[in-house]
Amino acid sequence: MKSNRWQLPDLGLGIGLRTRHFTHILSEQPELGFFEILTENFLDTGGRPSFFLDRIAEHYPIVMHGVSMSVGSSDPVDRDYVAKVKALAERTGALWVSDHVCWTGVLGRNTHDLLPLPYTEESLRHTVAKVREIQDLLERPLVLENPSTYLEFVPSAMPEWEFVARLAEEADCGLLFDVNNVYVSAFNHGFDPVAYIDAIPAERVCQYHLAGHMHKGTHILDTHNDHVVDPVWELYGHTIRQVGLRATLLEWDADIPEFEVVHREVLKAGRWREREAAHAA
Amino acid sequence: MPRDAVRNVPDLAGIQRWMQAVIVHPGGVEEALAAPEAASELAAERLGELIRPSHSLSPAERVEIYHGMYLMRMVEALETDYPTVRHFLGEEAFEELVREYVERFPSRSYTLNRLGDHLPRFFLEEPEREHSAFLHDLARTELAITEAFDAEETPILGPDGAQAVPPEAWPGARLAPIAALRLLELRHAVVPHLEAAKRGRPAPAPRRRATWLAVYRRDYSVLRLELGRTEFTLLKSLADGTPLGEAVAAAARQLRSTQREQTIFGWFRGWIAEGLFQSVTIDEVSTDDQ
Repeated sequence: MKSNRWQLPDLGLGIGLRTRHFTHILSEQPELGFFEILTENFLDTGGRPSFFLDRIAEHYPIVMHGVSMSVGSSDPVDRDYVAKVKALAERTGALWVSDHVCWTGVLGRNTHDLLPLPYTEESLRHTVAKVREIQDLLERPLVLENPSTYLEFVPSAMPEWEFVARLAEEADCGLLFDVNNVYVSAFNHGFDPVAYIDAIPAERVCQYHLAGHMHKGTHILDTHNDHVVDPVWELYGHTIRQVGLRATLLEWDADIPEFEVVHREVLKAGRWREREAAHAA
Repeated sequence: MPRDAVRNVPDLAGIQRWMQAVIVHPGGVEEALAAPEAASELAAERLGELIRPSHSLSPAERVEIYHGMYLMRMVEALETDYPTVRHFLGEEAFEELVREYVERFPSRSYTLNRLGDHLPRFFLEEPEREHSAFLHDLARTELAITEAFDAEETPILGPDGAQAVPPEAWPGARLAPIAALRLLELRHAVVPHLEAAKRGRPAPAPRRRATWLAVYRRDYSVLRLELGRTEFTLLKSLADGTPLGEAVAAAARQLRSTQREQTIFGWFRGWIAEGLFQSVTIDEVSTDDQ
């Protein structure tokens, strides 16, 4: 199977590191390939979260996933923020640093939402330039996640998958491919999720995300508060066939259950991986 | 879509200013679209030139998804840092408070953890709000708890470190507090409210009562001590860097002569046991309890 451009390792199965599970993880040392941390939760705290992160990082590989890089914002790069992200990456030995293809605010404000971009040549050019600047500051490639979105812009001149693929190539960055987000956006905007998957440059993909969502009838919200639905599992299988095996994270960020529930969910991904690997052999 | 219409839509920066203005507007989405901040970028009636309808939602309904999520996210963040304020006000009044607060103090940080930093000031600057003085005290207390939680970890001066200081050096010694210590002088009783919120009991009525609290972190848990006036004044004086002899002399003048030494010694023993200090400095030489 194909690997990624930077030979970043396939870490296997991972879960997001959440306060509720800290004690269990240290005492039980569950069988997992890695933990993903929410970058912003660990940038400015010297207390309990920091203590547990340091202990857990001694036993497991860590990857970082942020929500404030705002690569598509017309505001300039927040260099202080990037410096803090870099420092945290060095402290934890994080194998990669990721964020989203989105913007979160302008005029110095932060809405703390992952807001959609118009897929135009202007926004592509702008985002490529910002990602390159951020990567120079980080001194490593940035890994960007395809967003889940709830509206589309009339001026968009290309589909999202083309924007994401061109961004990755022109900025020379990595991709965190969120299979649930493809499913959510495909429903919300009426496109074929398989077409999205088939258009993604495999060598750019460093990690996968899987998650649950909330179906509202008229639209789906990316809520990360439930099990992964069957159609998303099917798309995950197709993604592995198209792109290859990659570190796979199960996102469960709201209504967080006991650790074992989340663990059982991510182990399902393991069965899909085994199946697809056997098929490819 | 006619080319003319597409040509006149805002550029990337204009689209983002427009969308942000709509999302953060405190009113409903129709009001937000028509408000000057958004309408200056794109007139409300031209929404269809910028946002596509979906198979099931109009352009305004699609924008409304983001608009609705903004306040919900702000409420969730402030509920986390101010659970007792939330408990006291109730769900509806708290949501209204958040709406007003974020309009005045929108987030300018990469983290939502800093969103609530100005809530005490918000109450202080709105004296006409019902219970504003009490809410100011309550918000200060909860902010102190958050700050103690997030403070950097510093070493603790234990009994051995304190006893290593020669007696003749004590008058000129200065004690440095741990980074996670916060001292609060309040005009209202807040502890009954903290307890009620924690146990899910109804919030009591606000009561004016001079209250002195030490909020601190030990073993990564945030704790609090309720102190008397003189003990608080001494502790604060030491935490501010006053030499021990001077601070103790001032405290002693507030105490009965028969109990002075015993009382003050008891306070010190308690503070050291709780790990409130990180070091003692004697004539420019720092002694840490390693």
